[in-house]
Amino acid sequence: MPTDPLSITFSALADPTRRAILARLALGETSVTELAQPFAMSLPAISKHLKVLEHAGLIARGREAQWRPCRITPTALKDVDGWLERYRQFWDESFDRLDDYLQELQAQEESEAKLKEKSKKPATKKPKEKNRGRKGK
Amino acid sequence: MDARVSNALRVTTPSDREIVLVRTFNAPRRLVFAAMTEPKHVRQWYGSEAMTLVVCEIDLRVGGAYRFTMRAPDGVHHTMQGTYREISPPDRIVFTEGYVTEGFSSGEALVTSVFTEAGGRTTLTATVLHTSRENRDGHLSSGMETGAGAAYDRLAAHLATMA
Repeated sequence: MPTDPLSITFSALADPTRRAILARLALGETSVTELAQPFAMSLPAISKHLKVLEHAGLIARGREAQWRPCRITPTALKDVDGWLERYRQFWDESFDRLDDYLQELQAQEESEAKLKEKSKKPATKKPKEKNRGRKGK
Repeated sequence: MDARVSNALRVTTPSDREIVLVRTFNAPRRLVFAAMTEPKHVRQWYGSEAMTLVVCEIDLRVGGAYRFTMRAPDGVHHTMQGTYREISPPDRIVFTEGYVTEGFSSGEALVTSVFTEAGGRTTLTATVLHTSRENRDGHLSSGMETGAGAAYDRLAAHLATMA
């Protein structure tokens, strides 16, 4: 198993529970007991995950005997700007798709409006037959 | 090309508790509003290459709930959900927004989306107001879960094969 700092950091992040713990810690410093609550997990199980995160330098823990607050280590993770960038990326991609879809919707509406216009005109023939006749022109 | 540049998404954090998204679309706001509030439309665009929209429920009335669930490449589900507080088509909609994933849920934010139209183009300004700065920063960090998380998983798997 690789023991360089980057590999240790990546393998620490390659676990959904540990990423969820980091997301929780991004909300602010907290105690192990508090941290364990939303995860429906035993304290020893959480402690094990915290040890991995601490070893990877992703979190730091206070040295107070009773209350050992956990917090994210700013240097090991990108700062808020980095997070903002990912948030931006998600919406950027979604909105680009929305942009394309709106063009489709508008084209659809236009062709429907044209069809309506045609069907408004008095005609003895059915619209389908009328269209066929026009195509031939 | 100029139009495209000015249409680009802008994200700002004007105060400790807010995130503001501004994006312009080449369509009337009536259409933009519909595309963002009707499931048959939302299914066509919400999400990204990596994040597949698997649940799209919208009860478009004041007090009604909505739920968008996306599946990441690692199989983890990410849900944005909330309730509608104000619905004034086609110019304004206000709703709460919370983020939920396996074993974790964020605090709720209040989102105010305003649609303004000029010359057939619509500008959406969405203001996401959090109850605290910590919650806002937590929201920003959720990108770590959805985007980078999967990338790290792949990279970690790749690193493992190299070891």
